[in-house]
Amino acid sequence: MELERVRALRGPNLWTRRTAIEALVKCTPAETEVDRIPGFEAALRERFPQMDEWHIEGSNEAVPLARILQLATLGLQASAGCPVTFSLTTPTIDPGIYQVVVEYTEEAVGRKALTFASELCQAALAGQPFDATAAIEALHDLDEDIRLGPSTGSIVDAAVARGIPFRRLTDGSLVQFGWGSRARRIQAAEIDSTSAIAESIAQDKELSKNLLEAAGVPVPSGRAVRTIEQAWEAMQALGGRVVVKPQDGNQGKGVTVNIATREQLEQAWAAALEFSSNLLVERYIPGHDFRMLVVGDKLVAAARREPPFVIGDGVHTVAELVAEVNRDPRRGTGHATSLTRIRLDDIAIARLAQQELTAESIPPQGQRVVLRNNANLSTGGTATDVTDEVHPDVAARAVEAARAVGLEVCGVDVVCRTVFAPLEQQAGGIVEVNAAPGLRMHLSPSFGKGRAVGEAIVTTLFGPDDDGRIPVVAVTGTNGKTTTAKLIARILEASGRRVGTTGTDGVHIGSRVLDTGDCSGPKSARSVLLHPDVDAAVLETARGGILREGLGFDRCSVAVVTNIGQGDHLGLNYINTVEDLAVLKRVVVQNVAPNGAAVLNADDPLVAQMAEFCPGEVIFFGGAMPTTGDLDGLSLLAFERARGRRVVFRRNGHIIACHGETEVAIDLARVPLTLGGAIGFQVENVMAAVAAAWAIGIDWETIRSALVGFVSDAATAPGRFNLMDYRGAKLIADYGHNPDAMLALVNAVAALPARRRSVVISGAGDRRDEDIIAQTRILGAAFDDVILYQDAAQRGRADGEVLGLLRRGLEGAKRTSYVAEIRGEFAAIDQALARLETGDLCLILVDQVEEALAYLADKVRPAAAAGPASEVAAPGATTA
Amino acid sequence: MAEEVVLAARTIGLDIAGIDLVTDDISRPLSETHGAIVEVNAGPGLLMHLKPASGEPRDVGSAIVDHLYPGGSNGRIPLVGICGIHKSAPVAQLVAHLLGVAGHKVGMATTQGLTIDRRLLEAGDGTRRDIAHRLLRNRAVEAAVIESPPTTIANEGMAYDWCQVGIVTDFDPAYALADGYLDSPEQIWTVMRTQVDVVLEEGVAVLNAHEPMIVSMAELCIGSVIFYATDPALDVVSQHRASGGRAVVLDGQEVVLLTGSQREVLADLGTSLAGGHWRGTMEPSSLLAAVGAALGIGMPRDRLIAGIQSFVPVLSRLAPSPAPARRSASDAPLPDPNKVTGRDR
Repeated sequence: MELERVRALRGPNLWTRRTAIEALVKCTPAETEVDRIPGFEAALRERFPQMDEWHIEGSNEAVPLARILQLATLGLQASAGCPVTFSLTTPTIDPGIYQVVVEYTEEAVGRKALTFASELCQAALAGQPFDATAAIEALHDLDEDIRLGPSTGSIVDAAVARGIPFRRLTDGSLVQFGWGSRARRIQAAEIDSTSAIAESIAQDKELSKNLLEAAGVPVPSGRAVRTIEQAWEAMQALGGRVVVKPQDGNQGKGVTVNIATREQLEQAWAAALEFSSNLLVERYIPGHDFRMLVVGDKLVAAARREPPFVIGDGVHTVAELVAEVNRDPRRGTGHATSLTRIRLDDIAIARLAQQELTAESIPPQGQRVVLRNNANLSTGGTATDVTDEVHPDVAARAVEAARAVGLEVCGVDVVCRTVFAPLEQQAGGIVEVNAAPGLRMHLSPSFGKGRAVGEAIVTTLFGPDDDGRIPVVAVTGTNGKTTTAKLIARILEASGRRVGTTGTDGVHIGSRVLDTGDCSGPKSARSVLLHPDVDAAVLETARGGILREGLGFDRCSVAVVTNIGQGDHLGLNYINTVEDLAVLKRVVVQNVAPNGAAVLNADDPLVAQMAEFCPGEVIFFGGAMPTTGDLDGLSLLAFERARGRRVVFRRNGHIIACHGETEVAIDLARVPLTLGGAIGFQVENVMAAVAAAWAIGIDWETIRSALVGFVSDAATAPGRFNLMDYRGAKLIADYGHNPDAMLALVNAVAALPARRRSVVISGAGDRRDEDIIAQTRILGAAFDDVILYQDAAQRGRADGEVLGLLRRGLEGAKRTSYVAEIRGEFAAIDQALARLETGDLCLILVDQVEEALAYLADKVRPAAAAGPASEVAAPGATTA
Repeated sequence: MAEEVVLAARTIGLDIAGIDLVTDDISRPLSETHGAIVEVNAGPGLLMHLKPASGEPRDVGSAIVDHLYPGGSNGRIPLVGICGIHKSAPVAQLVAHLLGVAGHKVGMATTQGLTIDRRLLEAGDGTRRDIAHRLLRNRAVEAAVIESPPTTIANEGMAYDWCQVGIVTDFDPAYALADGYLDSPEQIWTVMRTQVDVVLEEGVAVLNAHEPMIVSMAELCIGSVIFYATDPALDVVSQHRASGGRAVVLDGQEVVLLTGSQREVLADLGTSLAGGHWRGTMEPSSLLAAVGAALGIGMPRDRLIAGIQSFVPVLSRLAPSPAPARRSASDAPLPDPNKVTGRDR
């Protein structure tokens, strides 16, 4: 078995909406039916007992090793604790080659699981050992290392539950919610509006205390000290037990409480100096440690925290009791689990000494042995939820403390006897405020119920009805994607939004070009959604990206499918038929938001069939709408309209947007892109764009004005039916390169009056033979002159092979009387131009779009300056 | 170029950022020069812009302040200061109450304690500079009332630089500061005038028209002056009105605002203000002072009446201000206010 290719599908994809690893697997003939290899199953189960059942009850179908690989990859991840369920194996048209798809939650874990699963398969076949336990532990450790921690995870989960998109910006806990101009960021429990200054204040305990005191929040009195003598003086001045802590610490590091003697002071001094030389001596407030979590202007959770302790049983030593407590699976070594293990370090030994114990002492049954004075979870403490018991005055002081420091998400440490009563009544106080508080004690406290703190934080980031999304329009189809996408972008811009677009001609944010070249994949889509200025996105979504990596977004507001027709690029990547292609492009429709819409071409059966896969509304567009009242033939459009669905269709010289009894008409004479309705495929593009804008809720005046101003010239839409004038002849440059495009162009050109018609065409080598032949077969019926050319990029074909295919398409051509074969695109253009006379028409199917258009522009400019200026006449709206 | 740099700061999410970029020509877009932004810094040093080795210094400090306080705002909250010897404390309480009724979360520092939003934070003398200052540092406070007795002004200075309204309630020629160095009426006057000196240009001094030593402070005020008097016929009031000034007076039972020749009845002690806690806690003249301050801060008339009607002292025991230290029996003659020299402001 060989893994020929492994891909990570990072967005919704052909197979699933979830993230998945896709492997192209090659099996030997024997491996295509491993269930028939004697002893294989036993060998496999011996090595990985958690392996799922792979026999299908009652089925006699052969089981290929690829399926074992699939189930093992899934099973290994599941055993390591990853919440994954989806997997599948599908054969390809090539014998022995399978596609294996397995869901992952962390890409690195998924990839590693695939590697382990592959090793397991080989080991089971070859009778070699495989340590599944070690593999699962390695996966578990890797997952724990890279997945989001519990605090960040709780916020992300809350956002996801509200439909807010998220994206990790680092391997750490920096996460972006929302898209474009609506985006917000968090880092663990810090939010982007938390000011750096507020955090500095929270770091400085002395300053924090001053501010809290100024705000009328009870705090323990104390002073900053630099020497042990100052500390001793402070302790005497405060008159009683004290606390020593670093002025700028966190997580309870270096804090010692309840210091009564000079000796204890010196110990505490030494412990605190490990962390800082600026120390605080404060009055010790007897009572429990409480942590209040303030979000915005509300107290959302409160927990009582206890220092780590063990209870004697008269049999075991303190060290053994600690080891026993640490066996609790909830206790981990870091922050990822709900509790942390108790450490038996110097601080713990010193605390034991205060109780006249050592690690080797055997405390009597029932004795409570405290191992530390501070109650932080990160040093082994426990937490009990007390949110419901907090007195409103205590809550008010906690909120005031957070506001005084300026923190929107704030952990407030309170020491008092009880939270039932106001702090002032019990000489309690607020001892510390923390930016970026840990949330796990509130999410899964040791005792009591967990609190929805992630939800509270998300609510401060986004208002109650805000999902952080911007309108996202995904445009796909065989032809017309670029023009449709540009039209939609223009309409959105006219509505006052700053629009980001991706497409085959680059990434644009407003008038700024961020990238050039083919940018119709998920990476470009993500870069637009990440841009801080973007209010709406129009994403041309090509097949390549969907196959390679899935979609760049989790769902879109509008999905537009212009057409599938006879398809394009068939035969690549196991997309062999137009039906396969339709299934792939359908992915965009399947991932429309429930409150969104799919805009589908009613005249293209493969596109129309996608409707049933759309989770949202469907708006059909098309040309074949019978006149009002006539449901003749029950066309899809007529049927949908009768059902009260929104439809967009063409009626004579107008585009009609119809919803029930309401009709809005757009006069094609005022849409220059269509040459007054003459260019049929542009009318289709306009209908698709109008339907998309309608779905987003843009008003008709804006839509009309955007259409009036949109022209398709070499500058705005390079290679998309760019009309030029050359010495009184019409030149049309287009990037069409498949049979459907040829048909559409032939129809469009037929509407333009001309004397003699010529066409310049090459063929792209990566198309199927029949698709290349079909192109010239179509052209041969409509053009007098056909100039074939071959350029540098043969895309895997032998020299002259493509030209041969093009020539075959011209055999028996009805109209063509002149055929030339030229090497080089520019030479072919020169040849065509040389033959042109006034009143002729020439369609140039450009290959290297930018270069060819620049070359044409150079030719046209001097000709225009020299010859008589003649406008390209826009014919009337006659053709339908 | 500038646009790209601003975009870089926005992308990182900084409102003050130092952007490091490398390019051959700063006057051309980065795409033309193949230049690049190499680093974005939070908390950038400003010295290179303030004191560049060559070229023009830039006023970056102003840009940052404008960003913090857009539209020329200055970050101040409405602040009413009160100075007096015997009668200032009840006025402070009533003004604080009125500001609360106007919708503000009010902090108050008086000789009786420190309160925020009617919650007592500290009992005892709250006028001490460090204690009163807590109000102004507190983000929760939306309006402040600070009493400054002559002792505090002389010993520590005031807790603030400017105020919207400065009230001077009374003067006692027999009053002397305990330390003994300031004991002549002239010296006490010099201390108390500070309350008028700190009134903003767009602010108002609210002065007791019955007390010549206070009336003489009017000319020191760079803002406007509202006199208050229980006798509407006082010469001071008439003269002030003649020059278009405002006064709040008690005319019979009516509380009246006089502006130039206009007369507006605000309330009536016999009807709308016949009852209420104010009667038990202060004299009518103190009520007039508080009304003057409320007008000075721009409080709507209807809320003013409702505010006085609903007044309950926050600090329940409205004890008289600390007993003044008496000077020696030989009462020196009052100084002529006109001879008192002004100080540098």
